[in-house]
Amino acid sequence: MLEELQFGFPLLSVLVFLPFAGAIAVWVQRDSDLMRKTTLGVAIVELILAALLLLKFLPDSAAMQFVERLEWIPALGISYHLAVDGISVLFVGLTALLTVLIVLYSWETVQTNLKAYLMSLLGLETTVMGIFVSIDLILFFVFWELMLIPSYFLIKLWGVGEHRQYAALKYVLYTLLGSVFMLVGFALLSLNHYRVTGAYSFDLLDLLTVPVPLDQQLLIFWMIFLGLAFKAPIFPFHTWLPDALVQGPIGMSVVLAGIKLGTYGFLRFSFPLLPEASAHPAVTRVVMVLAVIAIVYGAIIAIVQADFRRLLVFSSISHLGFVVLGLFALNFQGIQGSLIQMINLGLTTAGLFFFAGFLYDRLGNTLVHAGGGLAAKMPVLAAFLLLIGLASIGLPGTNGFIGEFLILLGAFQAHWFYGVICVSGVIFAAAYFLWYYERAIFGPVGRLVPHVLKDLNQREMVIASTLSLLILWIGLYPAPFLRMINGSIQVVVDRLEQGVLAHHGGENEPPLLATSSLRK
Amino acid sequence: MTFDLVLSGSDLLLLAPEIFLTVWLCVVLAIDFSIKNLDHENIAYLSVGGVIATLLNLLWFDYLGVTGTLFHDMFVLDRLAIFFKIFVLLSTVLVILSSIDYVKSFRFFRGEYYFLVMMSALGMMFMASAHDLLSVFVTLEFSTFGFYVLVAYLRDDVKSNEAGLKFFILGVFAAGLLAYGVSLVYGETGTLVFSEMAHTPGSYGLAIGFLMIFAALGFKIGAVPFHSWIPDTYHGAPTPVTAFLSIAPKGAAMAILIRMFYVALAAFKPTWVLLFVVASILSMTYGNIVAIAQKNIKRLLAYSGIAQIGNVLIGLAAGTKRGSDAILFYLLTYLFANLGAFAVVIGVGNLIKSDEIEDYNGLNRRSPFLAAAMLIFLLSLAGVPPLAGFIGKLYIFVAAIDQELYTLLAVGLINIIISMYYYLVVVKKMYINEPVDPSPIRVSIPIKTVIYVGLAGTLILGIYPRPFIEWVVAATLMFSNVTDMVAAALPHGSGG
Repeated sequence: MLEELQFGFPLLSVLVFLPFAGAIAVWVQRDSDLMRKTTLGVAIVELILAALLLLKFLPDSAAMQFVERLEWIPALGISYHLAVDGISVLFVGLTALLTVLIVLYSWETVQTNLKAYLMSLLGLETTVMGIFVSIDLILFFVFWELMLIPSYFLIKLWGVGEHRQYAALKYVLYTLLGSVFMLVGFALLSLNHYRVTGAYSFDLLDLLTVPVPLDQQLLIFWMIFLGLAFKAPIFPFHTWLPDALVQGPIGMSVVLAGIKLGTYGFLRFSFPLLPEASAHPAVTRVVMVLAVIAIVYGAIIAIVQADFRRLLVFSSISHLGFVVLGLFALNFQGIQGSLIQMINLGLTTAGLFFFAGFLYDRLGNTLVHAGGGLAAKMPVLAAFLLLIGLASIGLPGTNGFIGEFLILLGAFQAHWFYGVICVSGVIFAAAYFLWYYERAIFGPVGRLVPHVLKDLNQREMVIASTLSLLILWIGLYPAPFLRMINGSIQVVVDRLEQGVLAHHGGENEPPLLATSSLRK
Repeated sequence: MTFDLVLSGSDLLLLAPEIFLTVWLCVVLAIDFSIKNLDHENIAYLSVGGVIATLLNLLWFDYLGVTGTLFHDMFVLDRLAIFFKIFVLLSTVLVILSSIDYVKSFRFFRGEYYFLVMMSALGMMFMASAHDLLSVFVTLEFSTFGFYVLVAYLRDDVKSNEAGLKFFILGVFAAGLLAYGVSLVYGETGTLVFSEMAHTPGSYGLAIGFLMIFAALGFKIGAVPFHSWIPDTYHGAPTPVTAFLSIAPKGAAMAILIRMFYVALAAFKPTWVLLFVVASILSMTYGNIVAIAQKNIKRLLAYSGIAQIGNVLIGLAAGTKRGSDAILFYLLTYLFANLGAFAVVIGVGNLIKSDEIEDYNGLNRRSPFLAAAMLIFLLSLAGVPPLAGFIGKLYIFVAAIDQELYTLLAVGLINIIISMYYYLVVVKKMYINEPVDPSPIRVSIPIKTVIYVGLAGTLILGIYPRPFIEWVVAATLMFSNVTDMVAAALPHGSGG
């Protein structure tokens, strides 16, 4: 499989385990400055490797690339199988980028227990990378669960809120609750493979070759849905999110809000493996309604928040509603828009969380009434915040517009009703962000604002300008990014169409024949 | 039935590990008696040497594929028996090593302690080979006698005495049930050998008899509703004995359970599956929920052990070859994680003389090594990947899904989340809370060794489980036909 693309070393394994090795390197050091530099060095090397991956990635292709495959537990059909395709490749880059930015952000803001913090951060990067490059379902699950451990410590030990203990435990238990169901779903898929072929397998590519009966598909779909919905989180499974994102440290909020693991799972596993269930009217209707509720509910709640971080949490719930809506429109534009929007949110929502951090470091909180007239004191911060904020509400010329426009197209194709809701969500988004901006950043200088406020320092400038550059790049010239994802999306859409046909056309042939293109 | 005892040299070979250990423990006892002022540490290392030699002997047997039966099928040596013997001896070695510091607190009879531990181990080795109801009774009692003494070893401690008394009374009661059950089964079938019972027709007498035997074995493994002795006994007994009690007898009794239900009662599978489903659900749920409220780490591990046995019983409820594979593998993961956790408890307890969870506050400050080890052991018990416990749970759940035991599965999954809660509470105390007394805790070399073995086992079984899975699959090869009997329609899996 595409041997000519392999480098002299297993690139994906290195991407996954380099941060882990970095964590060990940090562990043996004593000097805190050296620890920071080691972490940053590892994160930058990781980013370079990820950039190499993106450059060498063959666009317009649905093939699994950079494949690495070893047997792990043959008795249960579990293998160590890594690969990237259009669905996952951009996430690898995003994860590497955000980690570098988080390390930069934490340079001075995290002082207590620094070693453990940097180790947790690098550990987190390993697990998130692992999630995106795993093709074996159990391997995916291993990283998925493993991610909880660094997350738990990050929220608990370096959280800023009073209730961080509660938030950390809630996050772990909620995610665990969902993921055990997901594990059963995976096991049922494997069992189905066993019934058809006589061998267990948890390999995505193997599982794609065997048809799953519709009633089983529905059961498995809901099982996996629970796991993904808790992680995503989709309304009404979102209640852990405000706690974790407000109580936790900024770095953790950036990862949880910026890297959309849950919705990635739909595209990676649910759609290709369970096309008939995914296209089943009962399923799409329920999920679409949940998405619509999330869009409107999240936006309305965001408007009335008195705290910028809480506002961001609910705006991110609303944005995630868009992504889910686009996915379950089940057409090319919708899915394409959702995928690119997941990357966009990794730049915009995560960027806004960085800015919440900047404000917190200066004002001691992120409350709206603690601000007022900040633009006069910190013009650069205000300008970047405006740009990223406008991108998050989908201003033309920014990346948010590309994503939302495509989702909107897809939603209208699915049903005009969803399209209308989508549009209303965009308007709400403009309302909550601009109103916040007007109250906190513009206007006369507030009573509680300190006299001396430093504008962005160098490190913060790097964070803000990197994100802004990417926002404008995707906004003005999205073609290279879209080309990377198109091939894989087309395959997913083809499979889904067969699922749709099975419901409407009454065709009885097994729906899962379009696997050859995936395995070329 | 006539008992004509004929023994040849090759027959004795099958008994070689047991004979060797018997001789060795007599020698150890003799040395302890005869040499005055001998440091008990030397006795301990002498014991460890003997047990390890026996262990190597068994590994060699396993490699050669030595099998056979003795005494009219009362004693069987097959790969399943060898697996459980290795299991028992491995835990014995680790328990003896972790006892060395603890034994210093005994005022008398330090040497005899090791003798008793080895004697219980010997009894459990015989349990693993029991293939007949009479040998089940004899070996079960043999192994328990050592424990009766060990549990009450702290003579001046009221709790230890109470623990010993409770364990003794309930143990004798279980023995009575067992004897009565055996007599009923013999009355119905006219035989005591498992393989000869396989074709007897079902009857009420048989059912009641086996229920009683199940109750006695349920007492050994600590499954609900036969668990009532566990918390107080675990709490009161010397901690290394608790560790021993929480692993080895469970494994040995599980060997008997598997043999009895897979061989003697294979034909009645639809009936006994329900028994195990109920016992499993009760054990998991009760163990996990009550564990939440515990303030003492030994009691917490006691209840978590009840819940873990509930997980193991899922494998029996599946009643297939894959189920028995999963049980064996799960027990291995449990051995390393649980013994490791107990080694940490012993290490901490030796120094601060307390087993209260409150006293684990800030353990990370006092000993990062102990805290990190405990973290890994608890996470493995909770089933977090990529540690051993995860693969064990996965294996067990796949076996249950195979048999479409969805209710059991749902309960099991919910229980994983409950268990995660109380394990995390301990983690929180170790890592987040401030220690009352920040003085560092030093760990002695034997305890460190046990912890390292536990860590190695927990990590290797999680990351590279393949050779171990092949081992357990080979150990239960004789049950391949059980799967075929139940699901004859399915093609034979490549995984088997």
